Formats: sequence, structure tokens, C-alpha cells
Amino acid sequence: MKCSTAHKLISPYIDGELMERNIKTLEDHMKVCDKCRAEFEEGMELHNLFAESDKFDAPYGFQTRVMANISSGKIKGSSGIPVLVRLAEAVVVIVVIALGVLSGSSLIKGYMPDKAREVMASLSLDVFDSAPPGSLGGVYLAMTEVKNEK
Amino acid sequence: MGNNSDELSIIDRFKNGEKVAFEELVLKYQDRIYNLCRHMLGNAHDAEDAAQDTFIKAYHNLDNFRPEASFYTWLYRIAVNTCLDYKKKPFFESFLKKTDEGEEFIDEPASDRPSPEKLYESKQIGLALNSSIGKLPSKLRTAIVLKEIEGLSYEEIADILEVSIGTVKSRISRAREELKRHLKKFTEQN
Repeated sequence: MKCSTAHKLISPYIDGELMERNIKTLEDHMKVCDKCRAEFEEGMELHNLFAESDKFDAPYGFQTRVMANISSGKIKGSSGIPVLVRLAEAVVVIVVIALGVLSGSSLIKGYMPDKAREVMASLSLDVFDSAPPGSLGGVYLAMTEVKNEK
Repeated sequence: MGNNSDELSIIDRFKNGEKVAFEELVLKYQDRIYNLCRHMLGNAHDAEDAAQDTFIKAYHNLDNFRPEASFYTWLYRIAVNTCLDYKKKPFFESFLKKTDEGEEFIDEPASDRPSPEKLYESKQIGLALNSSIGKLPSKLRTAIVLKEIEGLSYEEIADILEVSIGTVKSRISRAREELKRHLKKFTEQN
């Protein structure tokens, strides 16, 4: 048996779906072919990993919720909503966001310059004098200025 | 995979107007359908929604169900298609509903509780497997989940997916190759 043929048979062999007449031929081939035997072993490891994987039971109250949803005519997921309705919903969301952004930016343009100037002025270091009048520095400077004038 | 007499009797009662009989079908199949959706979608929230949608769709279409067909196959087909639809839904819906992969941790009985290291390792491998399943193209993912998680035969899977047995065989084999590749990458990184 060629390796290419064996390769096609390994997966059905793992699944127990290989025809009787091919089983013996494949097993004989794997006895002498390391590569195909390794491929089979890897496949079996994966198969065992699946066997050990978690089994999930339906959550508590599942059938009650199904019957309640049937009574209310409700489909839970998106699959029950027609594509056009979903598309319309998406368009509405995009339009609302776009309107929000546009109105926000127009507000900024119309209102913010004055406010921005006030804020900038309040943050400016110009309001601080190096020696404010009444301070020791201010008195000293005033005195030296008077002296100089004299 | 035929129908048993109980199942046919429930469907018959349903078709004759006894709509509450449907709840018996939900009880019978809820765990298998939920488990399928959980592995197809990778999170508990979407899995519950998809499993609920499956039963709701089945309820609304049960009058058209032909008794000569297999109810189980029919229900599985609805579940698979519902899960595939979920994968196509707007990204923001999925994003908002996504939960942490670790939320479904199942506590082992104290008697055979493995060591924390072993538990961590198996948890990591389990997460890597789930993540690898999620990375598979939908056709490969569906085939491998139906085979490895649900334990269905190639014939049953072919029936559910409405493809040939050869196609099922090829998809499962390709899915295995992809999963091995992803897991190898995971073990190299860790």
C-alpha cells in the first residue's frame, strides 16, 4: 500500500468507518511505515482529546424558557430577525452616531472660541507678576526704582 | 437513525393540536442540541440562544415534518444551520455577548480530583482544542463536531448536511489535519 492511500484511510480507520477489507491492509502498512503510524497515533491522540472534552448539558430551566418563548412568539437570536430589518437597525445606529458627531462638532465651532480664550487666559502665566505689589520683592523694586530716579 | 414509537406518538399528538406535547421533545433532545451548539459556537450565551432558536423553529415547522424521515436528523439539521447563521451575525452582537472561555469549568468529584498542575494542563489543552475548533472553516467544523462530539456515523452526518459520505469523510480528515496543526502550534508556544 502506498502512503498516499494509507493517508486517506487513516481518518475513517480512527472513526471505525473503514471497510473490513481495508483494515488489514492498512494495519500491515502501519507496521512497516513509521510516518503513517505516527500520523495514526496523532489522530488517535486528537480523538482521545475529544473524548475527554467537556459535555455540556442544557442550563437549568431551558425547556421552560423555550416554551415561554414559543408562547410569546419570540426568536432569541439574530437568525430569527430578517436580514433587511437587521440592516435597517445598523443604518439607524450609524445615522444616530453620525448626527451626534456632526452636532457636537458644530457646537464646538459656534461656541467654543470665546470659552477657549477664557480658559487659555486663566491658564496663562502672564497673570503672575514676578514681584506683585505689596510683596517684599515689590517693595524692594519700588524702592530701587525711586532711588534710580533720584 | 429512525424514529421510535414514542417520538412518533408525540409528533402525532402535536399535529392533532396538542401543542404542549412539544415540550417532551425539548426535554428529550435539549442536552444534545445544547452540547452541539456549545461546541459549534464556543460560548454559553450564544449556545443557549441558538439551541432555543432550534427548538422554536422546529416547533413552527413540525407540522411539515414527514414521519418517514428521521426526527433526530431533521432537528440536528436545524441546529447546525442555526449555528452557522449565528456565525454570520453582526460582529458587535457577538462581541457584546461573548463570555470568558473559562466560565464553564466543571468541578470534578473530590475523590478523583487531579492535581492542580494536571488540571491546569488539561484545562489549557481543552481551551486550545476549543479555540482550534473555532478557527476551522464552518464546513470542517460542523463535520468534526458531529463526528467527534456527537459521535454520529458518516451516514448520519451526510444525511444531516445533505452531502455525500465521501464529502463527509474528506471534511473530517481535513478538519483533523487542521486541528493537529493548530494544536502543534499551541504546544510549541507553551
